[in-house]
Amino acid sequence: MSGRIEGQYFGKTEPLLWLYVKTALLTLVTLGIYRFWAKTRIRKYVWSATSGENDGFEYTGTGLEKFLGFLVALVILAVYLGLFQLLLTFLGLAILPQDDSPTAMIAQSVAINLNFLAVMPLLLFAQYRARRYKMARTRWRGLRFGMENGAWGYVGRALWYTFLSSITLGILAPLATFRLEKYMVDRSWYGDAQFELLGRWQALYPGMKHVFIGMGLLVGATAMVSAGIYWNVIGAIVFGGLFVVVAYVWIIVGTIIFRVYSFNYLTRNAVLDEEVVFEAHLDPTHVVMKVLIGFAAATIAPGIILGILGAIVGAVFFAVSMGGPSLDTGGAIEGLAIGGTVLFALGYVSALLLVGAIWMVMVTQPIVAHAVTNITVHNSDHLELIRQRSADKGADAEGFADALDIGGAL
Amino acid sequence: MSASFGRFFDGESGLGLTVELHVDIAAETLRLTHEDLPMGSQYWPLWAIRALSDQARDDQLVLSLKADASLDSALIKTARLTVDDADMVATLRRLCTDLTKKDIAHGTLRKVVTRSGLAAGAIALMIFVILPAMAGTFATLIPIEREIAWGRAIMGQMERSLGGRGADLVCRNPKGLKALETMTTRLTERADIRYDLDISVFDHRMVNAFAAPGGQIVLMRGLIEKAKGPGEVAAVLGHEIGHVEARDVTRNALRTAGSAGLLSMVLGDFSGGSAAVVVANYTLNASYTREAETEADLFALKLLAGSSTNAEGMADFFDSLSKLERLGPSLPTYLASHPETTTRAEAARAFARTQGYTTPILSQREWKDLRSICD
Repeated sequence: MSGRIEGQYFGKTEPLLWLYVKTALLTLVTLGIYRFWAKTRIRKYVWSATSGENDGFEYTGTGLEKFLGFLVALVILAVYLGLFQLLLTFLGLAILPQDDSPTAMIAQSVAINLNFLAVMPLLLFAQYRARRYKMARTRWRGLRFGMENGAWGYVGRALWYTFLSSITLGILAPLATFRLEKYMVDRSWYGDAQFELLGRWQALYPGMKHVFIGMGLLVGATAMVSAGIYWNVIGAIVFGGLFVVVAYVWIIVGTIIFRVYSFNYLTRNAVLDEEVVFEAHLDPTHVVMKVLIGFAAATIAPGIILGILGAIVGAVFFAVSMGGPSLDTGGAIEGLAIGGTVLFALGYVSALLLVGAIWMVMVTQPIVAHAVTNITVHNSDHLELIRQRSADKGADAEGFADALDIGGAL
Repeated sequence: MSASFGRFFDGESGLGLTVELHVDIAAETLRLTHEDLPMGSQYWPLWAIRALSDQARDDQLVLSLKADASLDSALIKTARLTVDDADMVATLRRLCTDLTKKDIAHGTLRKVVTRSGLAAGAIALMIFVILPAMAGTFATLIPIEREIAWGRAIMGQMERSLGGRGADLVCRNPKGLKALETMTTRLTERADIRYDLDISVFDHRMVNAFAAPGGQIVLMRGLIEKAKGPGEVAAVLGHEIGHVEARDVTRNALRTAGSAGLLSMVLGDFSGGSAAVVVANYTLNASYTREAETEADLFALKLLAGSSTNAEGMADFFDSLSKLERLGPSLPTYLASHPETTTRAEAARAFARTQGYTTPILSQREWKDLRSICD
């Protein structure tokens, strides 16, 4: 078997920006209902921009099925949380101490936070279902992708591995990343061909280098600050504080690098139908730069807009109130105050919209483009032997993810 | 027209065919020709051709057929045809009138309406039927000593929220306490009360009273001052005892916790933070259902009758409440969820007319003592 396919990406900034702004405005005027259609349309764009051997991907999901799935998930979650809260309060009353003592207070606040723990498995459930839905709604060369039903198995494993990597302060994060990805990849299909993830979880450790350096820095910096406070050395506190900030940034950047590294490794170790293999060489520096520049732009641009708006409103208000008795200022000032508030509220909403749009065209799309164009499929001739798989209803159409508001830009 | 080509996927295998395309204007069809196609060719009616929407590439068209327009077989139902050739793209854009049409399946609107209705119905059923019923059942399962302990905690919170941290609002004038005890005893001596009542007066100008779980009842100084006679205070006290006996506070707290958890989902905040706030607020403000209020009124009337106290006092109290209500929106929260006070006054007055001989529940002297309980 032979043949190779290089990934291509045809998306451009301007059309996607326009699509994003258009759908975001529609979402705004429909009080959020349109968001299911908005996300679907953005996905259609990004999927169709992704191409292999000039054959584009296709996203076949619809906004309507997402909306209906959301309704179902919403009702299930609402009923679940209603019952859960009632039972929790009942148990709190029947078991927990009810007085003003600190133990009682702690017990009560723990009980309240149980609510989050109650949602945690559902978040993981939603995560798996969302990925499954996206796979089921993706086609390439007319063949569907798909994923087996296994959300609860994923929940159990994800809880366990998350627990493991939390108690080891992230040292076992590669294990969690690898095993969870393997669980999902091994259940993924393209047509009637199954994926499989080979490789070892220990191989992800080189990617953790900068996370560990950042953590080391953080320990050092914290020690420096503590020592500074203990011996009352101002310089040590200031420098230590500075190093704490540096350490946090280092950890965040290190995490991005780790994710790129593991993406490369996991892609290289995936096999389709025991024949087709993949190569990925994404550049961590490139991805980090995209994120940092996008973050800067998303922080600065709305600030400028709000600043200019605030200045205009302030200046007009000032001019009118200084206009003196020659103007009928009573009503004018009131009107201006209302107008200014409305203008400012609009500015706020458009700033939010702008952040989303900037992130979409400056971070999400460029990173997708970078990933797609750095993936190569080998033994691609085998792809022609693959047949269609039966359609997957995808029952809730990622409604749980929408109800729980997870899943990010795509 | 010169031959142009497109890439065809039948939706059954991953094998792409480079098909020859030919538009037959007279027959209004697009012919796809390739030796590997069944019968060597396929005919796509121009009116049934749809282009995928929101595509990133404007130099090509990805075509499919309207779902129910497959002429010969299921084969072309999921088929896709990619056309790169600029002339062909232009031709198809011109001739296929419904190229960008969105085909909405039959019954879509009905589906949306039914599902939305079902969702709203399920949530309403939960809030108004299932959660209250469950709250009622669970409330009876909580041991009384638990209820009492919890009631103490609520009293502590209430005292702090009214008077600030460390405040001692409880009125302790011995003569006043004696009068209050006399009133309570007279009111309840003929009734079978399951709880040990613990009644106190808070030194606060609010015209209000509330029952905490487990038999603890608080009257505010403002209420006693506002009352024109001991009968009015007795009526309020009887009402609160009614709430205690019916375990309304506990039931209410459970119901509110459930609805808050549910609503936090609907309103899009599931972390539980705001839910906790809502629960806390509602528990303190203890707004009951209208049924619970009416039941408590009936209970109070029964107590008044049992102690031969004229129910006219209750009517008077509601009358002065309705005057307060007219004063504006700064209503004591206690009143907010109560049934229309004028209706309640009428009910009490009607009851009073059926009463025979009545005596004041406190003597003039005892009433004076009660009014000075916070001195």
